[in-house]
Amino acid sequence: MSETTVEVKLEVKQASKEVKESENVAEKYSVMTVSKNTEMNMEELSSAFSAVPTHKPVKKQIQFVEDKQEFSRFPTKAGRRSLSRSISQSSTDSYSSAASYTDSSDDETSPRDKTQVNSKGSSDFCVKNIKQAEFGRREIEIAEQDMSALIALRKRAQSEKPLAGAKIVGCTHITAQTAVLIETLVALGAQCRWTACNIYSTQNEVAAALSEIGVAVFAWKGESEDDFWWCIDRCVNTEGWQPNMILDDGGDLTHWMYKKYPNVFKKIRGIVEESVTGVHRLYQLSKAGKLCVPAMNVNDSVTKQKFDNLYCCRESILDGLKRTTDVMFGGKQVVVCGYGEVGKGCCAALKALGAIVYITEIDPICALQACMDGFRVVKLNEVIRHVDITITCTGNKNVVTRDQLDRMKNGSIVCNMGHSNTEIDVASLRTPELTWERVRSQVDHVIWPDGKRVILLAEGRLLNLSCSTVPTFVLSITATTQALALIELYNAPEGRYKQDVYLLPKKMDEYVASLHLATFDAHLTELSDEQAKYLGLNKNGPFKPNYYRY
Amino acid sequence: MAEEKQLMVVSGETLHLSGSGHCPQAAETEDERDGCIGAAEEQAIKRGPNLLQMLKAAESRWAPHQGQGREGEEAGMAEVVTEALKTDMQIQLTEEKQEFNKRPIKAVPCSLARSISQSSIDSHSSVGSASSTDETSPRNKVQKTSKGVSDFCIKNIKQADFGRREICIAEQEMPALMVLRKKVGGEKPLAGAKVIGCTHITAQTAVLMETLLVLGAQCRWAACNIFSTQNAVAAALAEGGTAVFAWKGESEDDFWWCIDRCIGAEIWEPNVVLDDGGDLTHLLYKKYPTLFKNIRGIVEESVTGVYRLYQLSKAGNLCVPAMNVNDSVTKQKFDTLYCCKELILDGLKRTTDMMFGGKQVLVCGYGEVGKGCCAALKALGAIVYVTEVDPICALQACMDGFRVIQLSEVVQHVDVVITCTGNKHVVAREHLDRMKNGCIVCNMGHSNTEIDLASLRTEELRWEHVRPQVDHIVWPDGRRIVLLAEGRLLNLSCSTVPPFVLSITATTQALALIELYNAPEGRYKRDVYLLPKKMDEYVASLHLSGFEAHLTELTDEQTKYLGISKHGPFKPNYYRY
Repeated sequence: MSETTVEVKLEVKQASKEVKESENVAEKYSVMTVSKNTEMNMEELSSAFSAVPTHKPVKKQIQFVEDKQEFSRFPTKAGRRSLSRSISQSSTDSYSSAASYTDSSDDETSPRDKTQVNSKGSSDFCVKNIKQAEFGRREIEIAEQDMSALIALRKRAQSEKPLAGAKIVGCTHITAQTAVLIETLVALGAQCRWTACNIYSTQNEVAAALSEIGVAVFAWKGESEDDFWWCIDRCVNTEGWQPNMILDDGGDLTHWMYKKYPNVFKKIRGIVEESVTGVHRLYQLSKAGKLCVPAMNVNDSVTKQKFDNLYCCRESILDGLKRTTDVMFGGKQVVVCGYGEVGKGCCAALKALGAIVYITEIDPICALQACMDGFRVVKLNEVIRHVDITITCTGNKNVVTRDQLDRMKNGSIVCNMGHSNTEIDVASLRTPELTWERVRSQVDHVIWPDGKRVILLAEGRLLNLSCSTVPTFVLSITATTQALALIELYNAPEGRYKQDVYLLPKKMDEYVASLHLATFDAHLTELSDEQAKYLGLNKNGPFKPNYYRY
Repeated sequence: MAEEKQLMVVSGETLHLSGSGHCPQAAETEDERDGCIGAAEEQAIKRGPNLLQMLKAAESRWAPHQGQGREGEEAGMAEVVTEALKTDMQIQLTEEKQEFNKRPIKAVPCSLARSISQSSIDSHSSVGSASSTDETSPRNKVQKTSKGVSDFCIKNIKQADFGRREICIAEQEMPALMVLRKKVGGEKPLAGAKVIGCTHITAQTAVLMETLLVLGAQCRWAACNIFSTQNAVAAALAEGGTAVFAWKGESEDDFWWCIDRCIGAEIWEPNVVLDDGGDLTHLLYKKYPTLFKNIRGIVEESVTGVYRLYQLSKAGNLCVPAMNVNDSVTKQKFDTLYCCKELILDGLKRTTDMMFGGKQVLVCGYGEVGKGCCAALKALGAIVYVTEVDPICALQACMDGFRVIQLSEVVQHVDVVITCTGNKHVVAREHLDRMKNGCIVCNMGHSNTEIDLASLRTEELRWEHVRPQVDHIVWPDGRRIVLLAEGRLLNLSCSTVPPFVLSITATTQALALIELYNAPEGRYKRDVYLLPKKMDEYVASLHLSGFEAHLTELTDEQTKYLGISKHGPFKPNYYRY
């Protein structure tokens, strides 16, 4: 195991997000345009993008912890690669069927050595096999069905072309869902060059389909470390084309450009970063005073956060446990470690199915919330003997120790919904007296000398990523947020954004939500003029002050 | 009268003397503080979270790691300042006076004294209703406590025993404050503090006041509402030596006289202000601006008062730090989400005895209040619809399994309409016209603006007062609509605020006072601050024992891994809970 990777530990001294809002209330309530029940007026949209935002740079603290353990399983790519893993759920590709079509890699030639030409005669791309384009097109069309928000955005803003002249380099997972995002950007007037942020996640046929329509894509499934950086370099370094926007997931692209092409940054209007890791790197840059363009942190937008954590985990906990163990929840005693967003989601889902849920928590405020929601707050040791399922979602380390594993009852299920693989002390189970039995994929029985079995899921790694899929709807939230962040940064008048890391403005956040309401056939109420005046709000939002907790 | 005055002066002086005995200098030296904290820390490891420990933890969290010694400490302090968020927030303040117009005696200024915050409202306990056969104004009576002190003005000192019993009962309901007394009573974090307060005077606030006394403070108190004072409790407090100036049913003139007497400018100099509604602060500004030299800070509880402070601050006229306790996480959650979750059921049951299962309910607004109402109604099997203007909240409603619709789409077939928007005329006459027979309409939001009542006062409609807080409005065709509390807040009019919620508020106020009073010079500037997160967490932790909840403690290894202190704060400020 190559442990000597970049030690990414954040010293957090930044105190607080400045919630202080702009003095001028009128300015604050600048126009945001969410047209509720009718098609959006284009002039409104443009004014939305030129309105003065009020959000401030957020100096937030991130409890960032090393994630590399997850990656040390892949011996080929050790060091840096870990950094490009985005922790954010929704940046992970959903395990759609397409990924497996192209798995047959009997073609041993590296795509780097092949010369391919798309039907229009262009060869400015590098994918596995351009001939799979049609196949990929179907995948993209299927994804479009689920990502109606982006399609709605295309319709609403197509004639306007808010991204006309934008030259975007992107580095994300390349899946059917991101393809919908890329094509939306193109429809809004942007030129795009794209590369993968993960060596395994690319859907080859989707990459081919994108290349076919003229997007320069450099990515294939199973790149080597060297390929990875080569792809990024090809993506950025091209004759007669200088990017002016960056869309990054994990910060690798930004990193590469800082190192190799610092001059390009003169033309860059902004960076949109999606993952926790990448955002963390940006804050470090910003702190060191080296950030020379504005950056937008889309990871912490309200809508995205709620979906990545609360809603997503609420469903994937049940899904993950069912898929792996077929357990029935009614009447089962479950202990959930941590009552943050993830914990709240898990508890709500389990309670709804009739499980008896206990909570462990360190933060008194969250503990009080758990009490008021009707959960017993206990210490793990008090209940560990008789619970049937233990779920960790703390973001912490060694929450379930060997000592506690020793005391669990026979058949107890242990899994992790929090992050990385640190929450359960799995290393302590790798001792000679314990027998590990792989029962099926992602399910291990750990057998004690006395015959007691503990069922460990996904070897202590994230259950929601390993044993469940991310719903397209969540990916749609992320992609829409990214698109709007790009539009905002690109259209912002000079000086609105300084060289700092910003949160997505609330009006944009609300706009993302409103684009997704159509799926639910939800009908938003509109304020009357009189009511808007009474509340001192603009009719079209933002509706809440920045400190509002939702 | 002259005699009384002399007495007052004397008692004031004795108060002074006893106070200065253990009054530390304003500028405490760092070493002393550290020593204190160190000792406290040792003790507290056994007993779970301790106030000073949390204080210290919070400081060390923000102190730069490399900078040891003096410089580091100072930098640390500077960082701490920002921890208490400055909320230059906007409050949608709207005139509340309609609520008060019904009582002709007190019209305009007193409307401001009404605090909108739920938990500052007295719970309707039995003492409030003491008969007022005695027609002499308390101002004209000379009364003395059993110790001979007469620096107070209340209805009848003889009720003290009765009030004491009430306070004892309230103490049972407010275990957090009692725990606080036990935990830091020995340290006397408020030694030397001279608190003037202006809140509702009820058994619950009495517990708060007496807690402040136990922590070393001296208090003078007045009522922030002319009707809410529990006379017996005021008597008990006066008997206990607190200078209280309040009785139930004060006149406007009495009200300001009481506050003036409470400030007691001739006999002592207050150094901390605890206000609810901003009236006390207002009078201080107008009449005794010089007193602000000595004042270390204002703790303000109500939305109205906080709004006034922000206005002062914006105009640059705020000359001391102020702490906005209304927006602390714990208090907010309890005032809105948890409280309304229970009160909506209670209020509807008490007034209409309706059964919820299978009923179609329309909830207007999906903020904290709306979320609470929806959750409670859903749990009882009601079919809930939501209307919302904010897309983010609307999406939340969708994901929680509620249909988001516009009011006019379903108004013909719903059984109950509940408004919680904070807005105006959400339910208009046209909606009311289309409701079905027996539809119940009520307001959980604020004030009485949400339902357009004025439009119902027309000739063709007949109002029938069925029982307290319930009106039937009968249309010409015989159709009836059940209007609760005349469109005023259902949760205040038809239900009571649980003491547990009042306990949260009182504890928050006490901790805010401690924080402001003990903050080193310069931590707080002349601005309005939010309660620091560590204090917020401490309030929550004090209430956990009521649930027999056992908080898990971080190991040293885990603390290091997370990069936070063992004793909090556990979450960054932007965390949404």
